[in-house]
Amino acid sequence: MGLLRRFLWPAIWLLVLLAFPLVWDTPFQQRLGTLVLLYAIAASAWNIVGGYAGQVSVGHVVFFGCGAYGALATYTHLGLPPIAGLPLGVAASVAIAAVVGVPTLRLSGHYFSMATIAVAELVRLVVANTEFLGAAVGLSGPTVPRSVLDLSFTSSLPYYYLFLAVLAGTLALTWRMENSRMGYYLRAIKDSERAARSLGAAASRYKMRAYLLSAALTAVAGSMYAIMIGFIDPESGLGILISVKILIMAALGGTGTLFGPLVGAAILVPLEEISNNVFGGGGAGLTFVVYGAVIMLLARFQPGGLLELLGRLRARAAGRGARRAA
Amino acid sequence: MLLEGRDVTVAFGAFRAVDGASVGVREGEVLGLIGPNGAGKSTFFNCLTGDLTPTQGSVHFAGQDVTRLPPEDRAALGIARSFQVPLTFEGMSVLDNVMIGAFLRTAHTGEARERAGAVIERVGLAPFAHASARSLGTPGRKRLEIARALATEPKVLLLDEAMAGLTPTEVRQAIALVRAIHQSGITLVIVEHIMEVIVTLAERVVVFNQGREIANGTPAEVTSEPQVIEAYLGKRAARAMRRGA
Repeated sequence: MGLLRRFLWPAIWLLVLLAFPLVWDTPFQQRLGTLVLLYAIAASAWNIVGGYAGQVSVGHVVFFGCGAYGALATYTHLGLPPIAGLPLGVAASVAIAAVVGVPTLRLSGHYFSMATIAVAELVRLVVANTEFLGAAVGLSGPTVPRSVLDLSFTSSLPYYYLFLAVLAGTLALTWRMENSRMGYYLRAIKDSERAARSLGAAASRYKMRAYLLSAALTAVAGSMYAIMIGFIDPESGLGILISVKILIMAALGGTGTLFGPLVGAAILVPLEEISNNVFGGGGAGLTFVVYGAVIMLLARFQPGGLLELLGRLRARAAGRGARRAA
Repeated sequence: MLLEGRDVTVAFGAFRAVDGASVGVREGEVLGLIGPNGAGKSTFFNCLTGDLTPTQGSVHFAGQDVTRLPPEDRAALGIARSFQVPLTFEGMSVLDNVMIGAFLRTAHTGEARERAGAVIERVGLAPFAHASARSLGTPGRKRLEIARALATEPKVLLLDEAMAGLTPTEVRQAIALVRAIHQSGITLVIVEHIMEVIVTLAERVVVFNQGREIANGTPAEVTSEPQVIEAYLGKRAARAMRRGA
């Protein structure tokens, strides 16, 4: 029974994820599923530093942008497939994270959050004025695929499975971290940094590691985005709204939980896409309203996110069941 | 000396919380630090653990100057502590709390869990191993802090008022635990308000008053010193006691 329960549900969910685009097979539905996975990757990456390490970054778009620009700049200037630029984007992300993290992760409170916003906006302005990176116009990917390596497909289906694989890798890495010394230390540091340090946990070093890992994985998400959409400009690659979106998805599902960001993305991405479809161009403004409402409701009623709420309800139901049996 | 502060001064602006104190603990000893509220004993204690860096003076551990080492590096050398107001990791189970300490000596999760389990057994928290730290009362939390510190396999353990807020029965149980820890070969520094604890546990006592060390000796010696009585009870009481004696 225990074994069944342990493997049955994950197997069912995996099957659902694998079968989704084949069952809901209109282009809109497939694209929707693909976008959910893409944002789930980004939100899961954010979760490593924002959730597990408790350091709320509000400028994660800068890493997303590194990945996206890395991919398309590599194509534009070197003529290589965009995916070849992924390591470049990851390297740039890690470098930026190191520069931001060293002075700010030592400080407690909101300094880190504020610094991340400032850096993201700074990078957006610099990129918007750099010809090499397309300035305000942006960069494009290959319009016609030269080979399969360009990963340029008209259907969303190949992207869906590519993103699913990347998400699986991200979650596997997160799971490993969660159950290792680093995961334990991060939880302890989040709870009481002073106590954790007295027990030998080098707080700033572990926070830094989490930040670097998170930055690298966010860059991967950015590259994936650029490869799929085939276009990037300062607004779509470095706009502050993307940071907020990533953060809210993780918070909605539950920060510091493995599947929270995926749950958050599965709720918010369809909401946004549907509202964009129904309300057309005016819908973009509505998305902001929805995000604002989500932030307020979460802060007031459920700071732990939906997964925590679910766990609580389940515990209550189990309690009732036990009482009835007794 | 295993761990010692030399001419330690901690100044907050013009106020000197610790003023040129030189105190050390020998290997295998139980050293008590006492003094009235605000005497500077906790501040001095925090210099030994690395939570504070002294304004002047130095801290040495096993012959090494550790004045500038952060707490995590001192923990690695073998200095462990408890906190006056327990800082247990509230969101974690008792076992996970102790595992944080055990991870200092092993990177392997399974091994850390095993070692933590053994320490929990030793301090008598085994029935609560899987309870959340939040569910423990004050005595449980204090015990958990000691367990966590022991899991780091320290050479010296510094206890900051580990018995404050306990009932007399709980104090006796805690004394038994601390004595067992000492017998296992760990050097102890205890800051304590409760005289009963100091008298039963400490081999040597250092008395702080207004940031200075005013007495140093066995519990019986220091408690009979007029300066100590004066510091605790005031000048008039000290004179009255002398007249009475």
